[in-house]
Amino acid sequence: MNKVILFIFTILFSISSYAATNVTFWHMEGVPHRVDRIQTLIDEFNSANPDINVTQEVQNWGEIYAKAPASVAAGTAPEILVGIPDFTPILADMGAAQPVEDFVAELDSKYGFYQKALDQYTYNGHTWAVPLWNMGLSLWYRKSDFEAAGIEPPKTWSDLKKAAKALTKDGVYGIGLPGNKQLYTDQTIYSFMVNSGAEEIYNSDGTLRFDNPETVAAYDVYKELYQYSAPDAANWTWGEAEACFASKGCAMILQFTVISTYDSQAGGDASDLGVIQIPYANGKAHRAGTVSYVNSAMIMTDDEAKMEASKKFLSFLMEPGNYGRFINMEPGLFLPITEAGSKDSTYWDDPVVVKYKSQVETMLDNSTRGSLFGFTNGNTFTSISSISAQNLLAQTLQLTLIDDKSPKDAVSEGMEIMTEAIE
Amino acid sequence: MIKENNIKLLFLSVSLLLIILIFFFPFFWIITSSFKSPEEIIATSTTIIPRSFTLEHYNKILFNSDFFIYLKNSLIVSFSSMIISIILSVSAAYGLHKLKFYGNKFVEYSLLVTYAFPGVILLVPIYLLFAKVNLLNSYFALIIVNVLFATPFAVWMLKAFFKLIPNEIEEAAYIDGASRYIVISKIIIPLAAPGIASVAIFCFIISWTEYLFASILISGDHLKTLPVGLAGIVGQYQIDWGFLLSGAVLASLPVILLFVFIGKYFVSGLTEGAVK
Amino acid sequence: MKKNNIEGWLFVSPLVIWISLIILVPIYIAFELSLFNVKIIGTTGKFIGIDNYIKIFGKSKFLNASLNSLYWIIGNAICQTFFAFTIALTINYKFPGKKIMANWIILSFIIPTVVVVVIWKLMLSSSSGVINSVLIDIGLLNEATGFFSSPNKAFISLILINSWRWSPFLALIILSGLNSINREMYDASKVDGANFIQQFLFITFPNLKNVLFVLGLVGTLLSFNIFDIIWLITKGGPSNATTTLPLLIYETAFTKFRISQAATLSIITSFLLLLFSIIFIKSMAPKEDD
Repeated sequence: MNKVILFIFTILFSISSYAATNVTFWHMEGVPHRVDRIQTLIDEFNSANPDINVTQEVQNWGEIYAKAPASVAAGTAPEILVGIPDFTPILADMGAAQPVEDFVAELDSKYGFYQKALDQYTYNGHTWAVPLWNMGLSLWYRKSDFEAAGIEPPKTWSDLKKAAKALTKDGVYGIGLPGNKQLYTDQTIYSFMVNSGAEEIYNSDGTLRFDNPETVAAYDVYKELYQYSAPDAANWTWGEAEACFASKGCAMILQFTVISTYDSQAGGDASDLGVIQIPYANGKAHRAGTVSYVNSAMIMTDDEAKMEASKKFLSFLMEPGNYGRFINMEPGLFLPITEAGSKDSTYWDDPVVVKYKSQVETMLDNSTRGSLFGFTNGNTFTSISSISAQNLLAQTLQLTLIDDKSPKDAVSEGMEIMTEAIE
Repeated sequence: MIKENNIKLLFLSVSLLLIILIFFFPFFWIITSSFKSPEEIIATSTTIIPRSFTLEHYNKILFNSDFFIYLKNSLIVSFSSMIISIILSVSAAYGLHKLKFYGNKFVEYSLLVTYAFPGVILLVPIYLLFAKVNLLNSYFALIIVNVLFATPFAVWMLKAFFKLIPNEIEEAAYIDGASRYIVISKIIIPLAAPGIASVAIFCFIISWTEYLFASILISGDHLKTLPVGLAGIVGQYQIDWGFLLSGAVLASLPVILLFVFIGKYFVSGLTEGAVK
Repeated sequence: MKKNNIEGWLFVSPLVIWISLIILVPIYIAFELSLFNVKIIGTTGKFIGIDNYIKIFGKSKFLNASLNSLYWIIGNAICQTFFAFTIALTINYKFPGKKIMANWIILSFIIPTVVVVVIWKLMLSSSSGVINSVLIDIGLLNEATGFFSSPNKAFISLILINSWRWSPFLALIILSGLNSINREMYDASKVDGANFIQQFLFITFPNLKNVLFVLGLVGTLLSFNIFDIIWLITKGGPSNATTTLPLLIYETAFTKFRISQAATLSIITSFLLLLFSIIFIKSMAPKEDD
């Protein structure tokens, strides 16, 4: 008898789920508590919208660049794909990511996106993705270290050099800077470029203007600071830098956040944790900025019903009350991308955010002034993907850090490599 | 004579020490570290004997992640790959060894040369191919690939084991009127059993450790294998070493447990069976 | 022995068909791609004939990666031969704990590559790695060194890590070869006054010819193919020092998005490996003793 009932239920269930619009949501936030948080929101959404069935599938950052285009080619792409700006042009070029400017405008009128957030996804006359959250590099340090050394937190590059030198002592590296050919290094070197006025990679005609004195100045100061970094920095990604800071092996690091690691693995004294804007080149205070990465959702289907369902789900995520919980899947890492979102009480209520409120406020403030190479002032060309996917900023840096060429030669060789890459 | 024995003893003790340091110490260190507090793991003053003890990393991974799903998937994929590999390679190895046929040598060498096509080369074409025949996101996709990587070497090992079986036994059976099928199932397989067992374990390991294809051909969480799942639970911007280490230990544990029971057959099957 | 053509093929054909399908179809797809100028997989490109092939030979990256691959194979061969023989010869002795060691030496081979990577990344870390701190404690180093910080150090570290993974397995195969050598040959040579180095050179080594032939062939191809360990640890850096051909192919396809160029590289690489295999088999294949 039970079996019969079960059978009937199965049939009914499969009919009803057949009728529902299925939306697959690919993202790369595989840490279990992030997956759980997203699932909670999905469950709420699905039960409020019986005609839509959202499922999440977690991918790895390591392979997504191979997997997403392959899935498009094979017709197995998800309806929604979370990504970072360098990734979108590829999928836009393929005709996979759908233009969403109308939808974004609608969200914008409701919640107010920070302007720089949209820059990273607007080109070729369209907006290609819905910004979800922001991340911006800041300079992290321990206040007690600076007090002990009798110096102030750095504002300019010369302050920074002095601080790195002063804080370097037995077993402690003054500043942890990566030298890996990897995204993290792209980000750190670009954060110096921004602060010397070299934020533009392209001219307005799509040719490159990477090789200029401001860029060279940034590579030059990076090289000088790199001597105070740890010996294995040539192989670092975010995690190693953070561990170095948490274990007091590095006095300063450039990082999106250190909060959760600092809290769980380094004692978690909130009053001692300092975070400031990344120092700027001397005399370039007006240039002060940072690198920011706006994570976004691309809609990858042109099926009318699926597209509507996807939009509905994304609207749900962006809604205050849900939004704070959504980006607090990793408290203190993901920052609000809308005005309304940064006032959302579900964001500020999280215990970690409460404890590190002043740090989070500084991070948020820095991130709104962040920009990203290749996505500045409307000079955006889809060929930037070739530069960022290959980490050519970092590769250029290795020419001077590892191969010991002069910053000037490295930058000019880097320019050649980039020119070839965007052909 | 005495001098030579001394040299031998010296060689033995130095190499034993090196082997223990190089091949066993890392495991000691990783396992003990996985029980250390997060502070101790990343501390700049490294400790060999742990100062702290915590189960928090294991707690997190066992109860807050999909570990058991990944484990189940890995077991299914590895066992199925193993069984299919063994069936195909026992048959092929027998054919190559006992039945001289036209193209025998060519097939034998071609099998080994299979490894001349790097996995990376096959990655995209296989993805497209599997998409066409609707095999993506299935255990079978991984099994097909694992069999490809395991069998060429498996055939070679098996062939060596079959060689050890004296021809006379088999011929005597034929004279008694046994069929080929009877000979294989009643004589060849039982006699080569230790060898077959070690080859089976080899196939299992090849599947158990495979990463690249498993990460590309599978996109659903419910089908991920342990290596891919383990790589994914670490956030992009942070490294939770304790989490990662306990995950590493747990991902190795099933094969290690397997080895507790069958390890000695693997090694004795392999070494006493005399691959030649 | 008489030939059993039909029955023989019947036995090998399931495997042969399985493998051919999974290799030949993809290789054909790759070959087709290599004649076009497709950039991103799934988009269309123009037919350009053999242009891709002509261009690749002029690229310094290809040359650089080929050399890296060559060094990688040689380095691994030396290192693994050394480790594997040391292990095999040691385990071949009688000593207390021999059984346990023989059973568990394989540990590094049976764990997932991802775990190998975790182990060595942490062990070799300059801030919290045990290797650095031990080397400093015993006075071999003054301060922590970065094992992946310079091209040479990174390359050598990776070779050692890869050898660490594979040597125990090779050792067991060699051991099985050793066990098949007739004990009496050693006894006889002792009567003739041979020392153990001579024994190794004139008895052990020649008798392992068959094993060494296959290990030489398969080992070389497998080392060449190593992708995940390098990719997960250095991504081919620093300064492309550890970019071997498989990494270059992956990079070209998935970070440069030049799928046709990657396919071209794949075809050339396969061709080179096939050529190597044929030469190796023709010149080294032992005579069958049956």
